Amino acid sequence: MITEPAFPDKLTGPGWWEVRGIAWSGRGKIAKVDISVDGGKTWQPAKLDEPVLPKCHTRFRLPFEWKGGEATLMSRATDETGYAQPTLDVLMAARGPATAYHFNHIRAWKVLADGSVKFAGGA
Amino acid sequence: MKRRVWLAACGLRLGILGLGLLLAVPVLTISVRADQAAAKPQASSPKPAARLGIGRVATPDEIKKLDIDVMPDGRGLPDGRGTAAEGQAIYTAKCQSCHGANGAGGSAERLVGRESGPNFNFATDPKLVKTVGNYWPYATTLYDYTYRAMPFMQPGTLSSNETYSLVAYILALNKIVPEDAVIDQASLPKVVMPARDRFVIDNRKGGRVVK
Repeated sequence: MITEPAFPDKLTGPGWWEVRGIAWSGRGKIAKVDISVDGGKTWQPAKLDEPVLPKCHTRFRLPFEWKGGEATLMSRATDETGYAQPTLDVLMAARGPATAYHFNHIRAWKVLADGSVKFAGGA
Repeated sequence: MKRRVWLAACGLRLGILGLGLLLAVPVLTISVRADQAAAKPQASSPKPAARLGIGRVATPDEIKKLDIDVMPDGRGLPDGRGTAAEGQAIYTAKCQSCHGANGAGGSAERLVGRESGPNFNFATDPKLVKTVGNYWPYATTLYDYTYRAMPFMQPGTLSSNETYSLVAYILALNKIVPEDAVIDQASLPKVVMPARDRFVIDNRKGGRVVK
């Protein structure tokens, strides 16, 4: 999950910012984390900070250029077994519409045109 | 300095639990390394406390105070006993303001209720409310959770007898044990919860499948 930028942060202007967050898995090490800044249309691999240890929080980071306007930030973790963090739709389809516990789907933050950052659920 | 500020902000954002996890991870890492160091006497690095210049080895008494987990089969349950009648008085004083009279209708989670649909179909019926009575697979967990986390504003203040009494009261309200049942280390693990057989072993082994 992305922890920066996140509510109540405000991007003070267009330019290069860093997306940061933490990823973890119950089944081993984090193999990679992909970041999308366009609501899941395209993804780029983030850099993982050492140490990367099984079942432990793993820090990730990636610079992104905010050009002003709206941007939807998402992170998708993949662990060493190949399990990739699902979207909300995929998780609900697998578990049922009223499921609530262990919600490990991809979360989104929306950067608004004024630079403020709002939680955007599964976007 | 900047990094510290970020960590503090992140902890606030994730709440106390998040901060706890952030702090807990390095501690766990250290203890694992300590075990590995102990297993290899030839290792030259000193114990973590000395190497890092912080902390000391916890005493058995300190560990005992923190070692409060209760397993589903009842391992970890302490001495003590309680009944629903004793539990009702404690519930009224310490629980009812959030959980409501008789375990329902308050601002906090509903504790009492056996409605579960034809097949305990919580995944597909959004109107079903999960309660201790219709959802929890093990009665022993009720002891663990109550003793560990309740009352919400004063966790850790209940005695073993008070906790057993509250457990007896909640189970009796759910009509899972008789109103005069004595709940203790021996009787609690024998209580069979209605949803017990509705849970399956997690058979996920990793890989791409989403379950």
